[in-house]
Amino acid sequence: MRRLQTRFVFLFLIAIYSQVLLARDLEALPEFLRSDPFGAIVAPDRSGADLASSLYGAKHQVVLTGCRGGYVSFHLVVKLPSPSTYTLDVTIPDPTNKVQIDLFREWFHFTDSDKRYYPDALIPVHATYSSRLPEPDNRIPKQTAQAFWVDVYVAPDTRLGIFSGTAKLKANSKITTLPIQLTVLACVIPGEDVVTIDHNSYGSSWLAQQFAGSYQHDPDHWFESNQFFELIHAYHRVFYEHRGIFHQLGYGHSGKVGPEFAPGLEGSGRAKHITSWSLYDRHYGPLFDGTAFSASRRGPRPIPFVYLPINPEWPASYEFWGERGYEAEFVNVVSEMERHFREKGWTQTNFEIFFNHKKRYKGFPWDGDEVRFPKDLKYFLEYDRLLKKALPPNTPVHFVVRADVSWDMEEQFKVLNGIVRLWCCGGGILSFYRHAPKMLCDRGDVVWYYGGPPGVTDSSSAITEFPLRAWLWGVNGYVHWLTVSPGEDPWFHFDGGQTALIYSGERFGVSEPIPSIRLKIQRNCLQDLALLDSLKRRKSLDSLRAGAARSYNNSTLDDWWNSRPALADLPSDQWLGSAIDDSTKHTQRALGHPGASAWYKVHQYAMSLQAEAK
Amino acid sequence: MKTVSLIGIFMFAILGIAKLSPEEAPSKMQKELDIVAHVGSAMVDGDICQKIVTQRARELMFASDPRDRFLAGDNYDVDDVAFNTVKKTLIRLSHLSSFPADVNLWMPIEGHAGKIQLVIRNKNEMSQFWNWGELYGDIVPQMETVLKTGQRVTVTNKPGWISVLAPVYNSLGDVVGLIETVSQVKMDAHENVK
Repeated sequence: MRRLQTRFVFLFLIAIYSQVLLARDLEALPEFLRSDPFGAIVAPDRSGADLASSLYGAKHQVVLTGCRGGYVSFHLVVKLPSPSTYTLDVTIPDPTNKVQIDLFREWFHFTDSDKRYYPDALIPVHATYSSRLPEPDNRIPKQTAQAFWVDVYVAPDTRLGIFSGTAKLKANSKITTLPIQLTVLACVIPGEDVVTIDHNSYGSSWLAQQFAGSYQHDPDHWFESNQFFELIHAYHRVFYEHRGIFHQLGYGHSGKVGPEFAPGLEGSGRAKHITSWSLYDRHYGPLFDGTAFSASRRGPRPIPFVYLPINPEWPASYEFWGERGYEAEFVNVVSEMERHFREKGWTQTNFEIFFNHKKRYKGFPWDGDEVRFPKDLKYFLEYDRLLKKALPPNTPVHFVVRADVSWDMEEQFKVLNGIVRLWCCGGGILSFYRHAPKMLCDRGDVVWYYGGPPGVTDSSSAITEFPLRAWLWGVNGYVHWLTVSPGEDPWFHFDGGQTALIYSGERFGVSEPIPSIRLKIQRNCLQDLALLDSLKRRKSLDSLRAGAARSYNNSTLDDWWNSRPALADLPSDQWLGSAIDDSTKHTQRALGHPGASAWYKVHQYAMSLQAEAK
Repeated sequence: MKTVSLIGIFMFAILGIAKLSPEEAPSKMQKELDIVAHVGSAMVDGDICQKIVTQRARELMFASDPRDRFLAGDNYDVDDVAFNTVKKTLIRLSHLSSFPADVNLWMPIEGHAGKIQLVIRNKNEMSQFWNWGELYGDIVPQMETVLKTGQRVTVTNKPGWISVLAPVYNSLGDVVGLIETVSQVKMDAHENVK
């Protein structure tokens, strides 16, 4: 009883505290504390409410500190108790333009599941922004607060020292000024990430739905228009700018290939050949040579990975499976593809041969994705044979067989050794095999694991768990299985965003995708990981990892692994799904859900090590 | 003799459908799909079809476990030799059409009256009856007619879609399944690329 009372008082104080701290008309909040449209911190972030004052210096100025080559971020919250117009102006003057401010208005999504508002989509606005509260387009009755995400970009060659700026609010004939003090440190965040964070998607029909205005303008030709390809490039760009990569699978479970994902084919049997590269090259050319990223802050760079359209029905017709005709069609076309890529100089991208189909979707009689039945592996062996026939042994073009594995991964690591070079592993089952990442990486394979984004109803730090886990595990990356599907009405009846990290900007007059708070937090987490990893010359990697885990949620490195369960000794087709869940209980118990301040503490840890290194 | 007449029917269809105006398209397509379905009824081997879905998959198709929501799907399995044999026949049947078409195989589920499952789909990913991702569904009245009477039935329920359903026989003369020959008046090149 007494414990309950204490807990109640504590929660009450936190609630009061969070209200009080937001009680001024212009407030700065750390990135991990999201405001709702009434000025309170959203419930999942209240565990981090003690961070609310962490941005403020002794003179009530906003104190920011950051390394070069990255971003420092925070929220600004405008609070007006009664309906009113306002103008917000944020500036950190820098004549050299190395310090730049990106300001975003935070959209408050109404989630149907708990009938609450959460900010997530970020609408780019000018650094001087005028509007009114309640914000007309967000349509929130009695809205009294509008939050903004502030990204302060610090270029790698920014001079060291202190930069001064202000956030200024004009409302009700009153001007409120919040001084901003940015300290630029000597450290430079490495441009290369230590974990690749992939954002996956399927096909492109969703683009027509999410950019319906653009599509409806010319529905018959839209999928071949410059607008369409520029939009695809914009999706790649937004993830690239947030230190991620983007995948679009171009075929369905029965082998239907979207026209822009593959060269055009004609003929049959030995006569099958490529007739057109037109759509393919318009789609991929700027991605493979990096020019799609010319205007980005990170600079032009070819995309590192891409799905090929190869599947059991493309380029060879499944009608001929197991016959000479299948081999002829496959070898002819894949050889032509290799030649085309080589002649174009597209040698910095990994071209993935990836089988996504599952037999439950009735297209083919074997699982390409998440093989459960060992008998299905013979198909992989046959494709390896065909590939070897199709590709010159010393080709500079990187064709790589990728397998997304779960049930049978331990067996596949052995049977497909030397065939599969990119492993995308189910995180739960990979947690049984602590030896696997090193074993696979030592033989030159790339290892990612997969899962899905947390929703907006999770704590703000939840999204940092995936990159952190990848780094702690020693794997090369993580895949969010779906990141571009915000549901039918993300604006007023949101499903929570577990399949979306970006949104269409069309509603706001932006012809490109717009980012989210979760994507920004993930990017900042990746910056910190790159920085932490760069310190391994001074401190052992294990020690760095242990320090990060401890800072994150007071865990040990062992807490991030499960012991190999007895079921792992059974053939994978005898496993039960529920038994897999049981076998991951240790990590579920040990890790739990990270509180909102979890990543803040890792960031502080990284910065303290950086200071020591200096 | 049967083969000769089937070839004759096919040639008639091909010669009869050269270039179609938009108004003519649906009825001409319907005729052509009906011919494909007719041929398919003769060519698809029902005994092999009955060997495709494994016993394990059949046993667990209706199983549920609140702790394992993918129980049925994760145990779905097929005999790949039988599957490939029938799928190749279905693909060849689709070549009889002068426009892009799929020929899908549907089979009722023994012991589960009123239920039917799609067993084989094809590369245009078209079906008027399959809800994406489902392992099985309810037998629609038109399917029931085919299974009970052996008659071919044309279905144009969804605007712009044409399916012709035709029976599949085994060596005992029983109707053990049906094929759906299907196309769309206007193909969507991007639908179901997922």
